[in-house]
Amino acid sequence: MTTGKNSPAQVTFWGTRGSIPTPGRTTEKYGGNTPCVSIVYDNNYIIIDAGSGIRNCGLELVGSGLGTSENPIDLHLFLSHTHWDHIQGLPFFVPAYVPGNSFVIYGSPNKERFLESILSDQMDTQYFPVEMTSLAANISIREMSDEALRFGDLAIDWQEQVYHPGGSVRYRITVNGRRIVYASDVELDQIFFPDEKTEETERLAAEYLAFVDKADLLIADGQYTEEEYKTKKGWGHTSIPVLLEIAYRAKVKQLAFFHHDPQHTDKLLNELWTKYSPKYHTADPPMHIFWAREGLTMPI
Amino acid sequence: MDKEINPGETIIHNKNVETALNDDQVSMSTMQFSRRSLSTQVTITQRAYLEVFGLKNYPVGVELGEEEMRIGRGDDCGLKLPLHGVSRQHARVYFRNEEYYIEDLESTNGTYVNSIRVSRCVLRNNDQIEIGQAKIFFIEERMRRKSI
Repeated sequence: MTTGKNSPAQVTFWGTRGSIPTPGRTTEKYGGNTPCVSIVYDNNYIIIDAGSGIRNCGLELVGSGLGTSENPIDLHLFLSHTHWDHIQGLPFFVPAYVPGNSFVIYGSPNKERFLESILSDQMDTQYFPVEMTSLAANISIREMSDEALRFGDLAIDWQEQVYHPGGSVRYRITVNGRRIVYASDVELDQIFFPDEKTEETERLAAEYLAFVDKADLLIADGQYTEEEYKTKKGWGHTSIPVLLEIAYRAKVKQLAFFHHDPQHTDKLLNELWTKYSPKYHTADPPMHIFWAREGLTMPI
Repeated sequence: MDKEINPGETIIHNKNVETALNDDQVSMSTMQFSRRSLSTQVTITQRAYLEVFGLKNYPVGVELGEEEMRIGRGDDCGLKLPLHGVSRQHARVYFRNEEYYIEDLESTNGTYVNSIRVSRCVLRNNDQIEIGQAKIFFIEERMRRKSI
């Protein structure tokens, strides 16, 4: 796949499952690894979240000859938050063990603890045999500020999301005039359809709509069916009908449902796609929707 | 592969992908009888096909093997699709780590899997591939069977 200038950016889903890895026959199609997405453009390599999917991302990189000691690489990992399912793959990311690679990890500056200590604790020897200080790549951990982030032609901006326990960050990557938004782990139902609308919910709704406006690809949390949401209110994840309505209102072009519920089988996700896709596919303007699956690379 | 595809014909593109259980796999057992005795003659067989629709006098089935198969209008393609909207070298299907992938070869009109434009995608049973006017179903079956 070409990733040079004037070619599309390549967006790859390495992990799409929420909460916990779910290997097995019933999750083979959409995948059982927890969140990880890479965006590659003109030799700039960005990864969002380090769920268990990042393991395969690292193996693919090294297998292609990149991120090796002979051919080191600059990698930028953006974490939406540090819940387990978004960082648990980090100790298994092979390029982090290769001397010469540069590996910068970015996260929210608004946590009670420093990002570095959270990630290091995960690699305490009580939990994992290799400590973070043993990783051989040149690793740098940064809590983001308001400064613009730019890597070649890739520009990244971000916003905090509050309706998720402990909060999370959404990211927008702009390249060649195209916009890719990653907005997982947020309960949009509480923002757009709260029991009682307030100035705060109105502000949050407007912020969200502006951030995802006309996105070429929106990767978003749509974990629960309408029925499931009734008993999961306040858990920090969005229901499918609400995400569809908001994304269409924001004129999103392609919507990837993401952070699949661990209980959702391939069969159910197929049924959901069959149920909801035709209406939006044939709408004017159309919005193409799909349930993100591991091993899918899209040109954007 | 440059064999001409005839309407309705199923082509054996390559040998089946078979994985024999190795010694380590068969020796790990807590049973009082040897697992080897149960499994030495068992092989795991994986077979995959592309079934093409959209051509006059078709469908046609092509069995996939371990070798890469090119799809396009070109004479050198294993799966030749003389259809509108198909590039000479449009896409390829290849086998890696016991899985089949489809990769677009920078075609003019793109390669779609289940209606989504892809650069590359691991293929799962019943995936619907769209290349130009052709609709192609990926069919996969895996089975354990006695080799004798």
